[in-house]
Amino acid sequence: MTSPMNSRHQLLPVASGRQVRDALRALMSPHGLLAAGAATMLLAGNIAALVGPPVLGSIVDRVVEGADEDALITPVLILLLSTLAAAVGTALGTSLIAQLGEAMLARLRERVVERALHVPIGLVERAGTGDLVARVSGDVSVVSTSVREAFPAVLGAGLTIGLTVVGLGVLDWRFALAALCAAPIQALTLRWYLRASGPVYASERAAEGELSQTLYDSIDGASTVRAFRLQEPHLTAAAAGSEGVVRIALRAANLRTWFFGWLNLAEFVGMTAILVAGFLLVRADAVTVGMATAAALYFHRLFDPINTLLALFDDVQSSVPALARLVGVAEMPLSSERIEAAAPADASMALEGVSHAYDAGHEVLHGVDLRIAPREHISLVGASGAGKTTVAKLLIGAIEPTEGHVCVGDVPATAIAPEALRRTVAMVSQETHVFAGTLADDLRLARPEASDAALRESLTAVGALGWVEALPAGLDTPVGSGGHMPTSTQAQQIALARLLLADRPVVILDEATAEAGSAGARTLEAAATTVIEGRTSVVIAHRLSQAVEADRIVVMDAGRIVEAGTHDQLVASGGAYARLWTAWASARE
Amino acid sequence: MVPLVLGQAIDRAIEPGDWSSLALWLGVLAVVFVWLSFSWRYGHRVAMRVEERASHDLRLLVARRVVHPGGGLSASRMPGELLNIATSDARQAASVAVLVAANAAAVAALLVAAVILLRVSPGLGLLILAGLPPIVGVLHLLGRPLEARASREQAEAARAAGIATDLVSGLRVLKGIGAERAGAQRYLHASGASRDAAVRAARLFAGYEAMAMLLVGAFLALVAYVGGRLALAGEISVGDLIAAVGLTQFLIGPFTRLAYSGAMLARARASAERIAAVLATPYGAEGGDTLLPTPQGALAFEGVTHGTLRDFSLAVAPGEMVSIVAPHGSDAQTLVQLLAREDEAASGRVLLEGAPLPSIDLAAARAALVVAPHDAAIFAGPLRENLAPWSPSAADLERIAEATAADEVVGALPEGWDSHVTERGRSLSGGQRQRIALARALAADPPVLVLHDPTTAVDSVTEARIAAGLAEARPHRTTIILTTSPALLAASDRVVLVLDGQVAAEGAHEELTHTSPEYREAIG
Repeated sequence: MTSPMNSRHQLLPVASGRQVRDALRALMSPHGLLAAGAATMLLAGNIAALVGPPVLGSIVDRVVEGADEDALITPVLILLLSTLAAAVGTALGTSLIAQLGEAMLARLRERVVERALHVPIGLVERAGTGDLVARVSGDVSVVSTSVREAFPAVLGAGLTIGLTVVGLGVLDWRFALAALCAAPIQALTLRWYLRASGPVYASERAAEGELSQTLYDSIDGASTVRAFRLQEPHLTAAAAGSEGVVRIALRAANLRTWFFGWLNLAEFVGMTAILVAGFLLVRADAVTVGMATAAALYFHRLFDPINTLLALFDDVQSSVPALARLVGVAEMPLSSERIEAAAPADASMALEGVSHAYDAGHEVLHGVDLRIAPREHISLVGASGAGKTTVAKLLIGAIEPTEGHVCVGDVPATAIAPEALRRTVAMVSQETHVFAGTLADDLRLARPEASDAALRESLTAVGALGWVEALPAGLDTPVGSGGHMPTSTQAQQIALARLLLADRPVVILDEATAEAGSAGARTLEAAATTVIEGRTSVVIAHRLSQAVEADRIVVMDAGRIVEAGTHDQLVASGGAYARLWTAWASARE
Repeated sequence: MVPLVLGQAIDRAIEPGDWSSLALWLGVLAVVFVWLSFSWRYGHRVAMRVEERASHDLRLLVARRVVHPGGGLSASRMPGELLNIATSDARQAASVAVLVAANAAAVAALLVAAVILLRVSPGLGLLILAGLPPIVGVLHLLGRPLEARASREQAEAARAAGIATDLVSGLRVLKGIGAERAGAQRYLHASGASRDAAVRAARLFAGYEAMAMLLVGAFLALVAYVGGRLALAGEISVGDLIAAVGLTQFLIGPFTRLAYSGAMLARARASAERIAAVLATPYGAEGGDTLLPTPQGALAFEGVTHGTLRDFSLAVAPGEMVSIVAPHGSDAQTLVQLLAREDEAASGRVLLEGAPLPSIDLAAARAALVVAPHDAAIFAGPLRENLAPWSPSAADLERIAEATAADEVVGALPEGWDSHVTERGRSLSGGQRQRIALARALAADPPVLVLHDPTTAVDSVTEARIAAGLAEARPHRTTIILTTSPALLAASDRVVLVLDGQVAAEGAHEELTHTSPEYREAIG
């Protein structure tokens, strides 16, 4: 975010064309056999379908010759059989293609979500979850449509066209040549169209992304919009975004009509060429009228697939930016792909000369030194904006220091595999999120193999078992979006229960008890005491009743540590902490 | 038209080898193409315009419903789901416009073809025209299970997208406990289910397509056979035979389109139903038609029983600053829901300026009474934009920033009030967001302002500053604070303790700390 005013959202990476191709190849490679099977079936089906026009042509020939009626039976039977073969081949081919496409698609979106969950949190905070949400839902749906509809159709149409041109050549090579008269016009049209429409589609996608971000902001903050009667500005912004999308979509539609206009011209030229060729060839007795008919029918039959193919270039093209956005996320390096991997020696933590700036040149933390012994309880206090949360984010590895080192168990955090780091440090902040699903599912995110008894035990420890058992289906009650919405105290109890289940040697509580009223806060404080028991802990709390109990209180101000010591020492020294304590205690006298 | 011209060209020009006739029919072909091209071009543009406008209108209808003053929607749906409905479903539902145009074109093509066929040979024409509708009928019947599959496929896809959205929204929490892998695993299951549903739907679709191909192909063979016999008998010309076969082959297009449109219509309908469900969600509160021209700021509860409240009564005088201490979160929550008009009192009355809330025009009620949500959203954009609707003067802005300690927040940002904040204000810390939200509430300057735990994320020194600032910032305005913070309580004119859904004690903070052990317990 070097210049936050330049762009509204710092976007996540978008893959280059080459990366997209490589990624597709990698996705395809495990399914070689399936792809071969699908191609064979489609080919067989299309060859069978090719039999139609010459057979119809032979019927015309027999009519012209004035053969007897029984002579029609054989061609008609052939026609029926070829239709059957074409139907079966195409059906098998398309379902195999679907299987292939869906498998690749599923793998891709799974990778996208996996990477999305593993990206450094700071990056997501800047790009906005809206962008990520748009990628995992909107872009996935665009690419899905393309995989489900455009891709098989393009393949089928391509095969039909190729084979039909071969069929024309089999009738007489000059027919194939005549049909190819249309090709230059089609090629030029396509080239022009791809060039003209590329930027239009890119801006269409951008406008749609902007619109979803705008809508998401309003939807997510709907209660605030209602409370402050902000409907007017929000709906105006949504309308403006939506109008932008409409304008660009119509521009694209306009281009499309020109595109098809040119294609019609190509059809006309090709048809004329075929008819003239047939005329000349029949006159020269090189082909029969039936063959000329077959040639004309062949070419006429090409109209649909050619239009399909060229038109779907459109769909495929519009899905390319979406695909690039998906691959962009899917190909983000997993930070665990680090070569050297050391293990933390113990449950100590340290900040060594750590400075941090979220925006270049705007440092919020200045040369902080802090050593935390194994199982030491630290309480971090100070005014809002003093840098406490930044320290917490550094300790958990959510952000990396601009200068200095973060050490976990005497090993620099950068040398530890993120997986190992995650097994060492866990954090609960004041931001709560209850994941949609049953309460048991939610808790098991922290320890997937936990038994129901273990879940109950952790809920008991944070004092939540009472209300959980009162839920309609206990642990199996759906919670989160679309289910039971726990109060903020309950949500934090769930978060602390998850922390217990995760069972990490180091825990960080950043305002984990702040959201509740004071009665709730006391419940949560008791829960927090249980959670930090026997672990290294850093607790950030504005309620100083929590600080009193700590082994050491560290006071921060304006990005620096200004005092450290026990409660009694600091109160006696009459510094910043003593002032905070006086303000806190006097209100409670 | 094209097959007809082809048939005539082959019959009249190629067979006899007549140059002038070839030229004539090529000319006719040219005219047909020009006509075709132009009518399609304008038809398509019109249909697209209709689709895009409809899609736009639907998007805005959904957005309007979501932020409607009556509320009632947010609790039951994920934001991601609503976003999907406002974007993807709006588009899908609007695609009916182009579908209808395409179907109309298909029907017109069928009619023209019918007329031509009947003129060529009444017998053959009747065969084709009588034979095709049953085929379409059968195809339609066969297509019916596709709709169910398609909607299951969509439901699975939506579920997977919902889970992805949910996980991404809770990403910070997920990362806090190192559960990225478990989360990814959960998505893996949903994505797999979605894939399987999609493959099943695609197989069914392929089978359906094969049946359609087979039926139409068999019919084509029949037409060729009958046409061939008629031509052999000399009842129709070779050109007519080619036209008949060509038209039958051509007709596969419009017919398949018509048959497919069932499935597409089903998708569009499913989307339209989801949109309709959102639009039809009952409002949490309905407004009456009482307007409040000059609200003074009087608020009263009269025997309200709702949620955890039992026969709750409380009167707040204009200009008063009252704090309500409700140690049980659900009491506070119920009060907030009633005042924010997210819910109606089951019994008893809430009076604003002496008028029951449900009788007051919603807009008027929300203008006179603002409930600042505890989890208020700070919107993306320059910080200043969040206060822009009330366009505070520079002096007011300074006064408000000082009263809410937002001045420290703004001072710490690189570009002050012009600094850009990311969505939901996530580039700010919790305490910073709370102060900006508080500044916005003061900028709105309503006659009655309700604040729900406004200072939970700020330190005690800043909290003391805010408490003093609040008391001065709204001299003749009513302010109600739901809090247990001693600093805010001490700054209030009056404090009300709510226990078991009823007022248990009231008085000044000083007084209650001495007289009420429950009060001391509640704020400790």
